[in-house]
Amino acid sequence: MDSTIALLASSQPVSQGAEAALYKGTLHSASAPLLLKHRFAKGYRHPTLDASLTKARVAGEARALMKCLRSGVSVPGIRFVDASAGVLGIEWIDGRSVRFLLGGGDEGVDDEEADETEETEEEDALAEYGVARDELMRRIGTEIAKMHLADIVHGDLTTSNMMLRLPSASPTNQPTLFLIDFGLAYTSALAEDKAVDLYVLERAFGSTHPDAEPLFAGVLAAYEERMGKHWLPVRRKLEDVRLRGRKRSMVG
Amino acid sequence: METFTYSHFPSASSIVHIAFFTHVSNAKALRARIINAASLTGKQGDDERERVNFAFVDARPVASLLHLQTAICQAILSETQDVLRTKTVHSEILWALNPSHNITEAIRRYGVSDTTTSLLVVRVTSPDLTDVEARMKAVVDGQLEDLSALASTTDWATVKKYYKLAGEDALKEADGDDVRERLVIDSIAVSTVAMKSVMNT
Ligand SMILES: Nc1ncnc2c1ncn2[C@@H]1O[C@H](COP(=O)(O)OP(=O)(O)OP(=O)(O)O)[C@@H](O)[C@H]1O
Ligand SMILES: [Mg+2]
Repeated sequence: MDSTIALLASSQPVSQGAEAALYKGTLHSASAPLLLKHRFAKGYRHPTLDASLTKARVAGEARALMKCLRSGVSVPGIRFVDASAGVLGIEWIDGRSVRFLLGGGDEGVDDEEADETEETEEEDALAEYGVARDELMRRIGTEIAKMHLADIVHGDLTTSNMMLRLPSASPTNQPTLFLIDFGLAYTSALAEDKAVDLYVLERAFGSTHPDAEPLFAGVLAAYEERMGKHWLPVRRKLEDVRLRGRKRSMVG
Repeated sequence: METFTYSHFPSASSIVHIAFFTHVSNAKALRARIINAASLTGKQGDDERERVNFAFVDARPVASLLHLQTAICQAILSETQDVLRTKTVHSEILWALNPSHNITEAIRRYGVSDTTTSLLVVRVTSPDLTDVEARMKAVVDGQLEDLSALASTTDWATVKKYYKLAGEDALKEADGDDVRERLVIDSIAVSTVAMKSVMNT
């Protein structure tokens, strides 16, 4: 058996999406845990095409992470790459998604089932991390700005694609915010692409979190501060994108 | 010496022994011996090659145990997939540690040199090989240390140079704080090694 497939078989399944299956595993007997993201074969695609597309995706995600790391954007480190098997190994973040911490429920769990207990759970959850909501929003805005200043566009900015690590899991005992899931990321210097990133996040806030408006305003304020003179062109494009979005929703 | 098990790799490459020596006094002779072993023929050659059948890694430009282990894992993976860029899994570890695709440079930077005084010795093998620590001690004159002592030998300026980190925004974030800066350097070095197979430089 292929060794990387054996590695997956010995790991704990975490979740299964349309594009990738996620596992929590270890590389050797004393290794720290890591997240293994397996882009499995798509039955409906031609095998050769499928293999090269998969390789390109794994390489693309790894390169985007590398660019972020070098630019000082807070992302998990790369631990293992087997592009021919479609597997990317990423530093394990011991924490929760921002979506969960803001009371938007767990990824993949329907909002309705989770609704009742969320309010209190979420207060407790954030308290455990020692970060206030406003501070969390500020950090999100700052990390996105750092990423955009490095001309990296995330492509799928949602609160599920951000995680807060427990202070106890950090070498400096600080809670740390991480941007994750760079599967759709690309390089672009265009203000419009950055504005779309922000718009996608604004919509994600609106659809999963009560109190979304002030929360997102907190994100934008920190973003603006960090972007400095690069904020204005993005702001203009964001207004355009919002307008187009509204028109589209009136039609459809 | 510490031993690590990689249960997903084929048995012949599933065990990794790592030892850390400081105060190494025979680096020059060891280097000559490694070069010489490659050209010996017959049973004599095979025996000598077995005696130096290790990856000898200069510890100075190694950022952490994780940095080394990431290179080891990617090197074994290349071996099992039959895509080694160098002759053996042990030389592949040196290649994996260096960010460029230049084999000579990797050996010059990460291999044993005449001035090496701290040395990481690695053996990738099957569960059947015993006496590995004795075999390592037989070729290295030095003081065997705990792997945790590695942190005190790292030459951070060199790691920074090899990985072209000067002026990188990530280091500015550390804002002159040595501890934070080292964490950043280590994190980038580890990630660079892990993704080398998909980096086109
Ligand atoms: N490095 C990590 N450490 C721990 N958990 C992680 C890590 N990366 C991701 N996760 C968990 O797995 C979830 C999905 O991760 P990710 O978004 O990278 O995968 P995906 O397959 O693209 O998922 P989706 O299609 O749902 O966006 C995250 O929301 C998080 O809960
Ligand atoms: Mg995701």
